[in-house]
Amino acid sequence: MAQLILDGVVKHFGKIEALRGIDFEVQDGEFFVILGPSAAGKTTTLRAIAGLEKLDSGRIVFDGVDMAGIPVQQRGIAMVFQSFALYPHLTTEQNLAYPLREQKMARRDIKLRVQEIAEMLGITHTLTRKPASLSGGEQQRLAIGRAIIRQPELLLLDEPLTNLDAKLRHDMRAEFKRLHRELGMTMIYATPDQLEALSMGERVGVIIDGKIVQIDTPADLYDAPYDRDVARLVGDPPMNLIPGTVRRNGGGPSLELPFLHVPEADLRNSLAPFEAGTELIFGVHPQDLKLATNGETEASFDAEIAITEPQGDITILDLKAASEVLQMVVPEAEGALHGAGEEIRVRFNPRDGRLFLKDSGVLVV
Amino acid sequence: MARRREIGKAGWRRTAVMAVISFIYFFPVLWIILTAFKSHTDALATPPKFLFTPTLENFVGVFSRTYQRGGEAIDTKFDLFFFNSIFIAGTSVLIALIIGTLAAYAFSRWPLKGNDLYMFIILTTRMLPPIIVIIPIFLMFRVTGLSGSYVGIILLYTAFNLPFTIWMMKSFFDEIPTEVEDAARVDGSSETKIFFKICLPQVKAGIAATAVFGLILTWNEYLFALLLTGIDTRTVPVAMASTIGGDIGVRWGLLAAIETLFLIPVVLVTFLLQNQLLRGVTFGTIKR
Repeated sequence: MAQLILDGVVKHFGKIEALRGIDFEVQDGEFFVILGPSAAGKTTTLRAIAGLEKLDSGRIVFDGVDMAGIPVQQRGIAMVFQSFALYPHLTTEQNLAYPLREQKMARRDIKLRVQEIAEMLGITHTLTRKPASLSGGEQQRLAIGRAIIRQPELLLLDEPLTNLDAKLRHDMRAEFKRLHRELGMTMIYATPDQLEALSMGERVGVIIDGKIVQIDTPADLYDAPYDRDVARLVGDPPMNLIPGTVRRNGGGPSLELPFLHVPEADLRNSLAPFEAGTELIFGVHPQDLKLATNGETEASFDAEIAITEPQGDITILDLKAASEVLQMVVPEAEGALHGAGEEIRVRFNPRDGRLFLKDSGVLVV
Repeated sequence: MARRREIGKAGWRRTAVMAVISFIYFFPVLWIILTAFKSHTDALATPPKFLFTPTLENFVGVFSRTYQRGGEAIDTKFDLFFFNSIFIAGTSVLIALIIGTLAAYAFSRWPLKGNDLYMFIILTTRMLPPIIVIIPIFLMFRVTGLSGSYVGIILLYTAFNLPFTIWMMKSFFDEIPTEVEDAARVDGSSETKIFFKICLPQVKAGIAATAVFGLILTWNEYLFALLLTGIDTRTVPVAMASTIGGDIGVRWGLLAAIETLFLIPVVLVTFLLQNQLLRGVTFGTIKR
């Protein structure tokens, strides 16, 4: 059992509060992703788990044991650093063997194990070379190899793909999933990239300003972000957030958006708890906006195309509707028919939208 | 990775210009080496002679020579002085490197409260001209009996080399990313092992550069050696100065021969370490 519990973990660097009470649990064998913008505390969280940072308060419990007094060397945790942190003066072979040598493993066994890991990661041809002469992808594989070679119970990965090019990132995402399946070890993966988080994580914890604000499955995270900040982080492009005001004139309550009036009956949530004049935020994914054809029954509004961003299979349209800037995603074939400056009509089902409170930014449920 | 340097890329004209400039800079050294092979008359000839019959008499004279016309050749003990120079410079640079590297690592990785102040204080010891402290040091050496001993002059040179060694080595340690050490910690290494197995190998070039600079500094030191070494612990610069004078005036050929011999060890060390040295001096100037 390699269950990990973080309970109210606080860490300061001088006057800066890096972690402001981190709580989460990771189950044995789970692939847990920590998603957050840069400087949110992802790296500090991982370093705290590894034992490289002293906690100011809170507990980290691993395998039922409080880690407080246990030095880094004895935690049985491995880590892949963002910079890879390879030993520059050692060859690939020596880099891989290093953790095993520290465990006083027999020389023969080390050789076998190094060979095995090198084959698994496809870096056998680099064994006698030093890190500086390896490509980015090879360095990355070496960093992973060095971390998994002693079969740790828990593997921490700190933005391991940030330093790689786009093609390699895609391959490595699949590689990580495969490794996780094959090795069955618990993994905690920190990333600022929502795509990595959604595609790899079994559960995703979103960290913002040193606090975990939401822990959910990727689907739930995308569907029902806890607040405005999470909504801005998840999805590509992220959710459109449109200011709205609750109106109660005659025929039942409704939500007034700058470019559209939406009756309560069309919305997912009831507007009953809100007084007239309450300001809310209406969030809708760019993928849920469609180009309108004639005779549609859904809500629709006029917008002007500001920029078109063709991406091959899809096109992202940047729209201006009233005073609002919105984004929508259309298939390439449709996008090709329209250009910047053109007026179009956009439809959507208001039921796909989500409401957030204006002040706290929290999702209305 | 460094871009491969193409040999001869600069072209003939630039190479020729550089050769001329290099020759001008190197000329004094060349002249000394030439003079070392000249007889006394050739050395003093006006206009200076470029073509002459080379002789080794000066080199022989370094180690044994006659002091009076017709007298017997006497051992000059210069072999001892060369040994002294090598022994004293080598030992003090080595000790300074050991202490300085440890100190620099501590200053870099385990900073104290007021770390910068301590670093500054260390540097202040090199701010005043050495001649200012020569009298107190001379008196200290007299009282403690260190005067004229190897231990004394080695201690003094070590103290001279330390600030420079600490500052230089600290900058090298500062350049290497701490994440590599963290990785070693996670991999199970003790702090001692991290220092020896992870950090030291990464600053090898820095150690080489620091050693060469320290060596040159100590090798050429004259003032303190003059006052604090005894007859048996005298270094070459002091001994060289004392050969000036005598019955036939300044023996330029002899001096040049001593200097030529004196150059060899430093040139040799620099040459052996030159690859490391280039890396050391340019360390951190480009992102790797």
